[in-house]
Amino acid sequence: MHKEIADFINSKVSGANACVVEAEVGDNLIFVEASSILEVCKNLKNSDYDMNVLQCVTGTDYEDRIEVSYIIASFTKNSEVIIKAKLPKTSSEATVAIDSVCSVWKSANFLERETYDMLGVVFTNHPDMRRILCPDDWEGYPLRKDYKVQEVYNDMVVDPPEKVNKADHNFFKEIMEKMGDEKKVAYSWKQEEPESAQ
Amino acid sequence: MKTNDLSILDTNRARYEEDLTVGKWFRNIWVAVSTAFKGMSITMKYVLTVKPVTIEYPEVKEELPKNSRSRLFNDVDNCISCMQCADACPVDCIYITAVKRDKEAPKLKTDGGTPIRLDLKQYTIDTALCCYCGLCTVACPTECLTHTTDYEFAQYTLGEMKYDYLATDIRAWKHRIVE
Amino acid sequence: MIEINGKPYTGQEKIKSDLLTLNMGPQHPATHGVLRVEIKTDSEIIAQAIPHLGYLHRCFEKHVEHIDYRGVIPFVDRMDYLASMSMEWGYALTVEKMLGTEVPKRAEYLRVMIGELQRIASHLMFFGTYAIDLGAFSPFLYAFQDREDILRIFEELSGARLLYNYIWLGGVWNDVNDDQLKRIEAFCDKMEENLKKYHALVGENKIFISRTANVGVVSKEMAYEYGATGPVLRGSGVDWDLRKERPYGLYKELDFDVIKGEGLKGQVGDCWDRYYVRMLEMHESIKILRQCLDGIEEGSIMGKVPKVLKVPAGEVYMRTECPRGELGYHLISDGGKTPYRMKVKSSCYTHVSMLPEMAPGMMIADFVAAIGSIDIVLGEVDR
Repeated sequence: MHKEIADFINSKVSGANACVVEAEVGDNLIFVEASSILEVCKNLKNSDYDMNVLQCVTGTDYEDRIEVSYIIASFTKNSEVIIKAKLPKTSSEATVAIDSVCSVWKSANFLERETYDMLGVVFTNHPDMRRILCPDDWEGYPLRKDYKVQEVYNDMVVDPPEKVNKADHNFFKEIMEKMGDEKKVAYSWKQEEPESAQ
Repeated sequence: MKTNDLSILDTNRARYEEDLTVGKWFRNIWVAVSTAFKGMSITMKYVLTVKPVTIEYPEVKEELPKNSRSRLFNDVDNCISCMQCADACPVDCIYITAVKRDKEAPKLKTDGGTPIRLDLKQYTIDTALCCYCGLCTVACPTECLTHTTDYEFAQYTLGEMKYDYLATDIRAWKHRIVE
Repeated sequence: MIEINGKPYTGQEKIKSDLLTLNMGPQHPATHGVLRVEIKTDSEIIAQAIPHLGYLHRCFEKHVEHIDYRGVIPFVDRMDYLASMSMEWGYALTVEKMLGTEVPKRAEYLRVMIGELQRIASHLMFFGTYAIDLGAFSPFLYAFQDREDILRIFEELSGARLLYNYIWLGGVWNDVNDDQLKRIEAFCDKMEENLKKYHALVGENKIFISRTANVGVVSKEMAYEYGATGPVLRGSGVDWDLRKERPYGLYKELDFDVIKGEGLKGQVGDCWDRYYVRMLEMHESIKILRQCLDGIEEGSIMGKVPKVLKVPAGEVYMRTECPRGELGYHLISDGGKTPYRMKVKSSCYTHVSMLPEMAPGMMIADFVAAIGSIDIVLGEVDR
């Protein structure tokens, strides 16, 4: 089915370059060019495939790119397909842009806002591009892999040391000093040295 | 942002000011009264026949099922400091530090017969962070870390929610809440 | 300043007053949690509604990127805290699909039973709170009395009352005993009687009908357009249930009907239809429960899952039918111990996005009825 859909996209939208990625486990994917996403969606909705429901718009952050996935389903034909577009990323703060599909499905409105909020993907021609889950003055895009939490937000300290049990975490250091032999001490705090915890 | 066309307000207003004839008016009243009466009779049946189900809590205490996941207790005498509980914990609220046991020291064993090779120096659980998922108790190989059915442990400060299981007063729970 | 038909609204148009901005929530009891809806009203009638989300946002999706696959389950519970079992089931199915794990028959039966009991519990919660939204108090108490029976069974099975961590990857945690099965059967008998009573008490009441019939109509086209699922979609007269269309678990072998709204008291897709779909769905759940009670077999309850869990690299999207609609997990794995990315498609989130289109022209009290009828849980909306 995915092959057919990819051929259909290529025949309808020039420059879409739809290609199927066959997966060993899980679902097959269809990659398309980011610039053609709006046309692809429009054509899929108004075709025999009758993709009448946009299930989900989401993104994944990789080192050099952000992949935006559109999970589209047909409730009349009982089918479902994952369409993906790659957006090259220049830096960890900069946003990337892709066309909005709000004109095709209205549910895209909130879903795209969430993707913008979490991954910094700007959807051009979106009617209301604001943050939705985070506050408006939040900095950074939380679901990017290199995201760092703000240290101070609105004069409030994020994760103050007395609340995150710093003393308990560092108890092993005290013991180490007392023993004078690091190898003799085993401790459970994973975040610092994950290997030695075993 | 644009609102929808305001004419929708007028059409909707019309819905609320529906035309009534005399017959319709009386019929409405009859349907309303009869259905309300039907509902009230069901309510009255409940009032008269159903016994109260509420437990009057501080006076009457509920017995929780045996595998209820409530207050955590670690029997430190049986703990072999394997740190599997800390690894399994999804919120990282278990802090363990242990040192190697001296070779000359007398050999210790747990109740199940597993040799104890590490001396426990710190076993602290911050129950304010704990999500009571039960994954740590499943991971525990010697079954020393258990959920008890003790559910009254509210405290005034966050610090009091941190349980140091090596402290003597908490060790004493063993006889109170663990069978 | 708001605009009407591209022109700024001056207050000199047909309506001779300015619009009043009101905040409904985040502490309003009728919003079922911490939803804030900014509404612009003309006297009692709403001209515009803007939902503001995020008051319960815990960034679940970021959290699970650092947690191994088994540790995710307690977090999944906390999304839709009124239907935790269904959330767990969806997650377990997603990971099992990637691993290719086979779940033993008894565990499958238990999962279906637990899932349906959870559906009844969740719909009872809807029934009670919806009646409260519309001004009736006693149905809430009756619904909670029945819900308590289900929670008791869950408590004995899993050890917790709300956040169960019961359905594990490859099976379920604890086995059910004969006494519990008997109690489930007794519950089914009792529930069938009670549901009829409840419907007579609330659904047939004239006041309830005038509050809900023809209010908050979601047409079939609008439901598709907004990606509505579950009882909201079925209330709009669409014959769509994932348990029938894409059966998972044991649903292929079970016999039940898909309920859809027919517009008995007003238009198809109004609040009353959505209410009625949920009431009838509980009957169907009882039907499924009875079949499971007959068919349940002895056997193990845990499939073979490796102790150190590494999911092969790949991508999967799995949908399940939860009480509030379809729940989709989009899992991307890079072959490691933790998910590389997990996106949860929550049905409540898409349902909230329908509010701005439903609201204009409604009275404030009707808006409360509309919010109640789409039955949102803010834990799932904000995640």
